[in-house]
Amino acid sequence: MAAARPRPAPRGGETHKRLKAAVHYTVGCLCQDVAEDKDLQFSKQTIAALSEITFRQCENFAKDLEMFARHAKRSTITTEDVKLLARRSNSLLRYITQKSDEITSSSVEQKEKKKKKSSAAKGRRNSEEQKQLKMTESEDSNMA
Amino acid sequence: PLPPLLAKPIAKSSRASQRKTSEPRVARSLIKKIFSHYVKMPVTRDAFSIVETCSERYFKQLSNDLEAYTNHAKRKTVEMADLEVLMRRQRLVTDKMPLHVLIERYLPLEYRKLLIPVAVRGNKVIPCK
Repeated sequence: MAAARPRPAPRGGETHKRLKAAVHYTVGCLCQDVAEDKDLQFSKQTIAALSEITFRQCENFAKDLEMFARHAKRSTITTEDVKLLARRSNSLLRYITQKSDEITSSSVEQKEKKKKKSSAAKGRRNSEEQKQLKMTESEDSNMA
Repeated sequence: PLPPLLAKPIAKSSRASQRKTSEPRVARSLIKKIFSHYVKMPVTRDAFSIVETCSERYFKQLSNDLEAYTNHAKRKTVEMADLEVLMRRQRLVTDKMPLHVLIERYLPLEYRKLLIPVAVRGNKVIPCK
């Protein structure tokens, strides 16, 4: 059942340290924003604790998402898995669904733009195809 | 003189109908037994009633979760895999504590036989799949 997959070195690896440092920096920036907004101070220990919490929570999220994707017999994690992860809290689920809808709509727009570009590029070919279609239709009508 | 006709007891029939319409529950005695087995400490009556309410809510939450996981796998029937996902999500099943170990630890033998295939003599495996 549980296949032993090669995981990245969890403890003490160089990448692990770098990831933690990156998380710590980002948490520090976010804490600065909150401190300016709410007019309060964060001690260094607090920021370190928050970054540690974030890192471990990310580990949990990763494992759960992996499990959900495997449960749906997929090997790729999709937005559905993320929604299932956030299902426990209603407000979070609403937020995530809203965000995913925004992302899907923007991606659809991008696809449409791409299509327009590609159609502009393929315009000549399409017109030729249409001509050919018209020709075949006329032939068909002649045949009939 | 004839004895006066006794009025038909309506209370019984109404009680029976009430019993039919009431939602199914886990027996109070069972909850009490299990809880006191694991607590190993005297528990008041009020605490037991609260535990009962908690177990009701737990089952509601459980059914909602199972429904979500089953829909996620695009099925309409709850299967063993859904339960395992649920217990992993509850951190009962982990990499160090597989589901089979939990079954062996907490379920009596007859249920364990149904869930875990056992090889017996005569080249048989119970349950036969």
